[in-house]
Amino acid sequence: MNRFSLPNLGIGLGLRTVHYAHILEHAPAVDWFEILSENYMQTTGRPLHFLDRVAERYPIAMHGVSLSIGGTDPLDRAYLAELKTLRDRTKALWVSDHLCWTGVAGKNTHDLLPLPYTEESLRNVVSRVKQVQDILGAPLALENPSTYLEHAGNTMKEWDFLAALASEADCALLLDVNNVYVSAFNHGFEPAEYFAAIPFDRVVQLHVSGHTNYGTHIVDTHIGPVIDPVWELLGEAYKKTGSSILLEWDAEIPSFEETHADALRAKEFITPKEAT
Amino acid sequence: MKPPLLRDVQVWMVGAITGAPADADEAAVARFVTPGPRLTAAERFDIYRSGYHARLLECLLDDYPVLATMLGRDDTGRDEEGQFAALCRAYVDRHPSASPNLNGFGRHMPSFCREAKLDGFPGFAALGRFASELAALEWALVEVLHAETAPPLDIAALQAMAPEAWAGARFIRSDALRLFRFEYPVNAVFIAIRIEEIVPDVPAPSPNAVAVYRKDMQLWRMDLTPAMLGVLEPLVQGKSLGEALETVEAECTDPDVLAQTGANLMVWFREWVDAGFFTRVVLPDPATP
Repeated sequence: MNRFSLPNLGIGLGLRTVHYAHILEHAPAVDWFEILSENYMQTTGRPLHFLDRVAERYPIAMHGVSLSIGGTDPLDRAYLAELKTLRDRTKALWVSDHLCWTGVAGKNTHDLLPLPYTEESLRNVVSRVKQVQDILGAPLALENPSTYLEHAGNTMKEWDFLAALASEADCALLLDVNNVYVSAFNHGFEPAEYFAAIPFDRVVQLHVSGHTNYGTHIVDTHIGPVIDPVWELLGEAYKKTGSSILLEWDAEIPSFEETHADALRAKEFITPKEAT
Repeated sequence: MKPPLLRDVQVWMVGAITGAPADADEAAVARFVTPGPRLTAAERFDIYRSGYHARLLECLLDDYPVLATMLGRDDTGRDEEGQFAALCRAYVDRHPSASPNLNGFGRHMPSFCREAKLDGFPGFAALGRFASELAALEWALVEVLHAETAPPLDIAALQAMAPEAWAGARFIRSDALRLFRFEYPVNAVFIAIRIEEIVPDVPAPSPNAVAVYRKDMQLWRMDLTPAMLGVLEPLVQGKSLGEALETVEAECTDPDVLAQTGANLMVWFREWVDAGFFTRVVLPDPATP
């Protein structure tokens, strides 16, 4: 159990519009769903109608991409107010976003841009996480990002930055093991180095997903299925946390059954094998 | 060495990602980014730069699939960039996102199509009006999808109305309804591409009207005749049924349209109510003269 006493919901899926009809018609036995928060913000129509039907039946967690927790523009209070309203509506068990920034001076790139890992940056994020948690009235879980570059000004490793942030801001973590794999390949470190620094008692959720390997670099495309080395990282992380598991599949999305079947492969890697 | 200030890094990085290629030249990138095990600093940075336009192009493609098909995505003879991609690239530069949410990102496309001049596509200017109207139709579908959900007017409420109450009745429009007068038959183009899977030539102008609406969470389009539009337009503007009919009589010079209105009004009205165009009816206060 994590230090926030947030439950292990089991093996869940990212809720995607192409699966709405199947979910509402067949009510499949999925442990829980994670929603992309922004898909249900700045709307009063059909997305919320479907979300309400899903939330009536399944536990929900919210996962955002636009908090820009590492940004230097002021926090977007209107966005945060809407995020809180959505949390109240869905009774989401927790809210997560990414350790990143998305834009500056009012311009949003809609990308999860890598932060410089410096003392100044750490102070900035810690302060903003505390403000967000005050507004939400709940712990925020921050996800380690997939990154494709490193800043020349870095003075610490991402894992040390993340650990310091979690401790100083007293926030939760969402550990994306695919992102660890992707960044390890792109930057040339060992996932074991990353895991050694992570305060696993703060990890409330684990992400897995597919990716696209271009040979010279890997992009976190969320196109599945998940490869075995990533599942193995999940198994390692699960041993340390016992947290809720979620599969993200965001492009070239197959049928609901196929997506769910891939998510359920997690059982092969989190169940202790019997001695032979 | 002291690292650069966070704000300075972010201002440079967003400028280089979203700006002209010269803003992301190798020397500039090397000041802020380290090389990786297999990629140079510039190659690593370019993943973000190319991702920016690709992501927003994908968003606009979601909103404007029919416009994209009509303008051509990749069959224009230019490497990797069709007319729609060029339009979107220009759009992204002209209307960068300032919102945490992409739901409204494409909202300027109808007006942008009217004014855009595309490098490499001088013929686009002649398409501007058609492209603008097609974009307006597609954007209406986005707006209607996100419009507030309210129960539609119950036909039983109308059946209970006294005959003398009809003339003064005002019908409150659904938020999920949009009416258009178009120069080009863009709904026919939409049907050809999305339903018949045929890519037609750009049609000649042919004035028409279309309603875009949501019923039972599905999105629909309804062609409207001039006679239908003559009644419906004042109704959704808040006029009473009696006032709407007076407008038709005052403004309509075509006897056929007047005859159609007289003969079909109740049939149309039932169809509009069934389609959820209205959410409630407001009757005049009997105490008001």
